[in-house]
Amino acid sequence: MYVVQASDLTKIYDNRYIALNALNLRVEKGSVFGLVGPNGSGKSTTFRILLGLQRPTAGSVSVFGDLMTPERADIRRRIGYLPTNPSFPRHMTPITYLEFVGSILGMDQRQAKVQLARLLRAVDLASAAAQHIHGFSTGMMTRLGLAAALMGDPELLILDEPTSGLDPAGRKQTIELIRELSGRDRTIIIATHILADVERVCTDVGIISQGRVIYAGPMVEMRRLARQGTISVEIEGNTGTFEQQIYALDEIGSIRYERLGSEFRITFLGTEPLAEYAQRVLSLVDRTGVDLLYITSRADEIEEAFLQRLEEDRTRGFLRAAAWASTQAADSDTRPFSALKEVEPPDASISRNPSI
Amino acid sequence: MQAFLAILQYDFGQLSRSWISRIWLALLVVPALFLVVVADSQSELASETMARYITFVLAPISAVAISILSSGAISGESNIISDSILSRSVTRTQYVAAKIISRLGFTLLVYTVVVVPFTYLMFRYAVQDASLSGVALGWVVLASLLTFLAALGISVSVTMTAALPAAMVVLVSILVSGAVLQFLGLPWISSTAVIERLPQTFRSETAVWEQLRVLAVFSLLTIIALASSILIFRRKDL
Repeated sequence: MYVVQASDLTKIYDNRYIALNALNLRVEKGSVFGLVGPNGSGKSTTFRILLGLQRPTAGSVSVFGDLMTPERADIRRRIGYLPTNPSFPRHMTPITYLEFVGSILGMDQRQAKVQLARLLRAVDLASAAAQHIHGFSTGMMTRLGLAAALMGDPELLILDEPTSGLDPAGRKQTIELIRELSGRDRTIIIATHILADVERVCTDVGIISQGRVIYAGPMVEMRRLARQGTISVEIEGNTGTFEQQIYALDEIGSIRYERLGSEFRITFLGTEPLAEYAQRVLSLVDRTGVDLLYITSRADEIEEAFLQRLEEDRTRGFLRAAAWASTQAADSDTRPFSALKEVEPPDASISRNPSI
Repeated sequence: MQAFLAILQYDFGQLSRSWISRIWLALLVVPALFLVVVADSQSELASETMARYITFVLAPISAVAISILSSGAISGESNIISDSILSRSVTRTQYVAAKIISRLGFTLLVYTVVVVPFTYLMFRYAVQDASLSGVALGWVVLASLLTFLAALGISVSVTMTAALPAAMVVLVSILVSGAVLQFLGLPWISSTAVIERLPQTFRSETAVWEQLRVLAVFSLLTIIALASSILIFRRKDL
């Protein structure tokens, strides 16, 4: 069952800026979904539409199987939301603010007190519970936002940059908290550009770029894709001989490598299993007589995969645009004007990404 | 309903803690007491004293205070609205309705708290020339004018994102409205004309239908301003 389902979601601000470009997204119940993308890629806009804070220009989004609109408070009752750098009424204290959130959610006052005390302890704000919010640091605001998002014990938790502004200890604590919160009945969607966070907590991942989801799938698959064909080795000794023979590792020479001092990051572009490639690298180490310091297939794998997806998307977009332009030019000589409408626009195939 | 009540309570709390509200109340009460003392010692006419109080104290000070408080109703917390309130189980109608009731209710509460004791003291200490029905009608007409001002402030606050420019827009609208209404051939509806007629109204010397006409027009304008606030806010991207 899908908790969130967005179809061809498009948002254009003032007929000037395209924030979402026919975005398709599905999030399964019980998953921890990481929405990863560079700044300005449309993560926050997606969330705001998901919550009914903004209306889509085209397309639709359903949450728990119902169409989301600004008036659907009943759906939002089941959602907890943490925005990036959240704003709160500054004259309030964490206790009065969480009481206010509790009363908005229709919680009994006694029940709200119990819940807020538990949450303030969980996010490590118990000692600042009586302080006014206007004196809070960014990290404290984020932690208070997290507590507020959890007040109603939501079935769907939407966290926009949950580790933003947190120190390493706070970040670790938040990640642990998210891990604890994930479970059978709760679905969590996290937007972040910190890939290590995604790798630690997410079961599924979606990569968003220029308002479109360009990849979505299980984290395991993302790891597999990332690991596929890339082996890093650090060696000592006759590295020159080793380097000269790298291209011989594959019969048809479909290899790319990068040298960083004594470290070689070798990418095999073929489709054979990674173990086979690792075996060949070890054989080469043996043949050339260099000393192996380490060998790995895990270095920065998610980051690599993320950047690779973005790069592929850019290249594909460019190629499609070029192909479309040339088709236009060729057709304009042979076809009547009305027939040009049948030519597919540059980005149309991306919006129908079958993996989403 | 609980969300509506929570926002209403939250906003009313904010207004009662606001320094603008406190200063507004103080600036209305102190001159009122002073005028009661003067009216008693100088044997002033109640209708004239009350009219002077409205012209020089209550109307201008309340116009500024109401403009600031009402135009900051929504624009003053534009970030908080989406992050802390409307992302939770609150509908936009509930939110804006709570804001309207709170701001209009607070305006009328301050007005009543000042006007009722002042009228009583005027009847007791000034030279009596006003009728109770005339005074009641006069105060109601003035209340409708201030209510409309608050409604106008809320509708401006819905469309603008910054509180200060919103307040400026409301104040400028009041200032230019007299000239515009003169140009339109409707001078009887301008705030200046309404206030100028108040001494006669207090003495029941004006036709009741004239006052009822003013009351009807300002009530209608208030309804239009509030309805447009709700409609605009419901369609707005946050």
